[in-house]
Amino acid sequence: MNSAMARFAVRRLLSMLLVLFAVSVLVFLIFNVMPNGDPAVRMAGKIPTETQVEAIREEWGFDEPLYVQYVRTMEQLFSGEMISYATRQNVSEEIWKGLPRTLSLAVGAALIWMAFAIALGLYSALRAGRLSDRFLTVLALIGISMPVFWIGALMVYYLGYKAGIFPNGGYVEFTVNPLEWLWHLVLPWTALSILFIGFYSRVLRSDILETMGEDYVRTARAKGLSERRVLLKHVLRNSLIPIVTLWGLDFGAVIGGAAILTETVFDLQGVGQYAAESIKGLDLPPIMAVTMFGAFFIVTFNALVDIAYAALDPRIRLEGRSSR
Amino acid sequence: MRKLCVSFVVLGLAAVTSIGLASCGGGDSSGDGAGGSGDASSVTIAQAAQPDFLDPALSYTIHGWEPMWLVYTPLITYKREEGKAGSELIPGLADAMPEVSADGRTYELTLRKGLEYSDGTPVKASDFEHTIKRVLNLESGGAPYYEIIEGADAYLSGGNANADISGIQTDDKTGEITIKLTAPEGAFSNVLAMNFAGLVPSDTPFENMTQDPAPGVGAYMFTKSEPNREFVLEKNPKFEEGTVPGVPVANIETVKTVIIPSVPQQTQDVIDNELDFMQEPPAADFVAEILDRFGPDGSEDQRFEEFTTLSTYYFFLNTEVAPFDDPKVREAVNIGLDKPALARLFAGTLEPGCSFLPPEMPGYVESLDSAECPWGDPNQPPDLERAQKLIKEAGAEGAKVTVWGDNVDPTPKVTQAYADQLNQMGLDAEPKIVDGGVYFQTIGNQSTEAQTGFLNWFADFPHPLNFFFLVDGATIQPTNNQNIGNVDDPHINKEIKALSEEPNLNDVADRWEDLNEFLVDSAYLVPYGYRKLTTFMSERMDFENCAPVNPIYYNDYSQWCLKDE
Amino acid sequence: MVPPSRDEAGSAGTEFTLDSSEQLSRDPAERAGLGPWRLTGRRLRRDKVALVSGVVFLLLLASCLAAPLWAEHVAETTPEENHLSDQVLVDGKPTDVVDTLGKPIGPTWNGHFFLGADGNGRDIMVRLLYGGRNSLLIGLVAALGTIAMGLVLGLLAGYYRGRADSVISWAMDVIWAFPVILLGVALGTALALGGLDLGPITIQGDSLAIPILIIAIIYIPYLARPVRGQALALREREFVEAARAQGMGSLRIAFTEVLPNVASTLVVFLPLLVANAILLEASLSFLGAGVQPPAASWGTMIAEGVERIATAPHLTIVPGLMLTLSVLSLNVFGEGVRDALDPRARVRIEH
Repeated sequence: MNSAMARFAVRRLLSMLLVLFAVSVLVFLIFNVMPNGDPAVRMAGKIPTETQVEAIREEWGFDEPLYVQYVRTMEQLFSGEMISYATRQNVSEEIWKGLPRTLSLAVGAALIWMAFAIALGLYSALRAGRLSDRFLTVLALIGISMPVFWIGALMVYYLGYKAGIFPNGGYVEFTVNPLEWLWHLVLPWTALSILFIGFYSRVLRSDILETMGEDYVRTARAKGLSERRVLLKHVLRNSLIPIVTLWGLDFGAVIGGAAILTETVFDLQGVGQYAAESIKGLDLPPIMAVTMFGAFFIVTFNALVDIAYAALDPRIRLEGRSSR
Repeated sequence: MRKLCVSFVVLGLAAVTSIGLASCGGGDSSGDGAGGSGDASSVTIAQAAQPDFLDPALSYTIHGWEPMWLVYTPLITYKREEGKAGSELIPGLADAMPEVSADGRTYELTLRKGLEYSDGTPVKASDFEHTIKRVLNLESGGAPYYEIIEGADAYLSGGNANADISGIQTDDKTGEITIKLTAPEGAFSNVLAMNFAGLVPSDTPFENMTQDPAPGVGAYMFTKSEPNREFVLEKNPKFEEGTVPGVPVANIETVKTVIIPSVPQQTQDVIDNELDFMQEPPAADFVAEILDRFGPDGSEDQRFEEFTTLSTYYFFLNTEVAPFDDPKVREAVNIGLDKPALARLFAGTLEPGCSFLPPEMPGYVESLDSAECPWGDPNQPPDLERAQKLIKEAGAEGAKVTVWGDNVDPTPKVTQAYADQLNQMGLDAEPKIVDGGVYFQTIGNQSTEAQTGFLNWFADFPHPLNFFFLVDGATIQPTNNQNIGNVDDPHINKEIKALSEEPNLNDVADRWEDLNEFLVDSAYLVPYGYRKLTTFMSERMDFENCAPVNPIYYNDYSQWCLKDE
Repeated sequence: MVPPSRDEAGSAGTEFTLDSSEQLSRDPAERAGLGPWRLTGRRLRRDKVALVSGVVFLLLLASCLAAPLWAEHVAETTPEENHLSDQVLVDGKPTDVVDTLGKPIGPTWNGHFFLGADGNGRDIMVRLLYGGRNSLLIGLVAALGTIAMGLVLGLLAGYYRGRADSVISWAMDVIWAFPVILLGVALGTALALGGLDLGPITIQGDSLAIPILIIAIIYIPYLARPVRGQALALREREFVEAARAQGMGSLRIAFTEVLPNVASTLVVFLPLLVANAILLEASLSFLGAGVQPPAASWGTMIAEGVERIATAPHLTIVPGLMLTLSVLSLNVFGEGVRDALDPRARVRIEH
């Protein structure tokens, strides 16, 4: 890696850290400055007395100035010592427990949607303009337009409880029973994938169509290469690049977005559901931890992709940031 | 090609790491089948959320109490029976009921001999003092109940966890325990019987023991605690028939509680026999099906039943803020409230009522739950016209009212229905739903000036004082107020004080009845019913013979049994 | 959750290229050299599917706006009125609107309770229309807000570059880094409790302005980045140089010369942004962080409906269908617009 590359990478990493810092400050402000619950009273239980509440306030430092509390919160975050105000449990442990579930959901869905998207996108592109293409386009658009929590709720009730084919919800650890693990994830994977299959297949389709019109492809055809070879060697390869990059970016975003809704509907008790419950309960420590975790994912994937592109495209390195 | 390769490699690495992390999930599963583990009998039950604490000194919810009253036994406890018998006190770890001095300020008990905790540690009299110290020191929600003990305040302000509480004297050799109070307290025996006073060994640290619960004397003991996933109770080998007379030994070896946040999922799992029991009432959506199939008149074997609890559901009316500072308006609300309509939102688990004290509670007045209620028969539609007239007379038509409620089902529905009813009466009401975690402190803060909203109270112990502190002028506070309506009636305050000093409840039950009627007549708040909770089990449990419900602690796991195959 | 498209830097449309692709185009209108916007219009008009979609959406919007008419004259109730104790004639028999176990009636296909009632005994059809009004309006206004803010920020960043660009881009990165739903739910929950107090302006916790504001802000980076990219490229073009040579101030150039050329991007974005905003509002409301009760929105109706899915599935199915239909029509129309604008446009999708 030459020095220009190194400088670029360092610049990206620095900007990453600044962004994460800003995110942490924002979260802290939202839950401390905006009017919401007093955490000391929450912890004091059903019939809190003044002395109790004061004692808790002192012990947990809620009476200290905001910036002191912020520093302490971040210290706890990095040392893994964060305690939730609502449940008094260690937040890092809770996240660690939920992580396999969220990742099982996200990674599984991501692999499925990529596979289907490539297949459908390719098929659509090859049959461009014909009835089957139009039909698939319609399906894809419907997939994009359905709210994931709606289709999920309908699936879990009708295919789960009513038909009895799939479980009523919940999650089974892979280490306990791999088959049950799979069975409990089929519906959540489907719900999450429908959205992305629709959209990625269309992106791939338009990319392929576009690439097929490019000069170098026409050249390849003119050279006498078989259609199939042209397709595989040139068209597909180049059309896949943007898809793969998007896949990386989307993966980071799914963790913090659609995963929450899917987990809630299917009761998977992953990090997403934990986050949603903590937010509703205005419980700062888990919110901070999960948001930082999600932001870290997103920012990291962004940076990785940028660095990879910079490694391959000198213009971006020099300009300082990609135009994306 | 390079671009593609690089991209793939980068993302592939990330994905592989993720999959690696995903596969190494720790711990046992949740939501798994209810199949017993081998020969030993075992059941799997569910709760919708991790109980507040798995520490007797700290837990103040039924979610914690239901499992823990079988693990920790206080000096005095309740008869392990159903109905009214179940609210009678019997000796627990003490060998007899306490001897109370004439002035009601001294309680003497003696510890039974030869008791052992589940880990084999012998039980000492001084363990009682340590147990109470933990309640005070850990800032437990139950601490206020024990602050009436002499020296408790000094202990709290002293800041030394290991200091003595002057009001508690114990002798480990004789097992004698003497408790001195700063003032007589009629319900103190009940306070001694609360889960907070469940004895734990003196070496139990002054910290929240949820992750690793302490040993106790009871039919069950904790063998596993994984917060937010599950906890496991196993039969306590040190607890035998006769260890504590009146407290039975467990039938089922293992009771595993898993946390399943979705109540509909729990309901479906119990229906499908994949789960043996659910603590929450089943989701309203399935109640009709459950009644049809598993109810008392169901088509299949009965495994579902509703039971009344010592609870009252009511709306508070802030007597210090317009428009409810006007008695006419308060009366109007009581007259115009459509109680049967609200009951529908509880899917049949709310019995409309007019009394502040629920049925089976000493002080309950049965005639109030009929046409003799001053505001109209609670089971009949209300006199809306009269209510509207009163509102007009009071000049409160169009008065803006915020109706508070939390977001725990069915409260949002009830709150919205109540707001709509207030609108029908002529007010201009809008509901405001806030999260359950911040609800009480929001409405309990005087600066919020909450006008009216949703409340309920489930008895901590079967004594009217436990309800009346909610309307005692002496308990009004600027923040964390429990008397949210700011009810400050001189007669009520005086009677509460006088009656709290009476040691024998049966002697003064009629005075409590009078006070109950007085409160209802004054329209300081709007009681509208009593809640029924449920027992819903899978078919392998023997519902017919082994499903008792205690009025304080509800389902008694220790008396469950499986059907003989 | 549909990410809008953004153009690769530089390909803002065919209007300013003089290459041979135009001459070789199969489209006679294009060969004839008609202006770019008129070309777009023609292509759009020929795309029947897109037109029908657009009309469908407008019809949906119109019927939702007509909610008060339905409520007053046909259903004769309001969206908040609880009819818990009422009875309605079904097949001549008086039936409880909500039975003792809380089960509401299904569609009566009459004026009253046309689509049935919900768990509180409220008229579903009325709530559907009022809720649609909320959902669609929030989506539209939020999308316009995003365009307004994103446009300004993108132009400033792309045209001025340097300091302004760094700061604005960094701010965009921060919003971008926030997991979308988390940010929305966090802001929505925090603001719902106490409202927003900005000195002279106070917004109530249950005001619709709050979800609108939150959604608008969340989507700013999706628009600002592509706009910035285009501004970056356009500022080097001859016509901008010419304007500078004429002595026009930077700000003026940015808004009078560069902006119109970015317009095509905006036109493509608008339907997609509205569609996304509608879905985001539904997601937030479903999680309790969007529209607050008793106000209706399709998202809150689905959340309430799921609780009754076994005995009253229509409560879940109907609002979901309406949502899907609205978003679908917008997506199809948006596709048509993009195709009409430039059939060969290179599109990159980003999340």
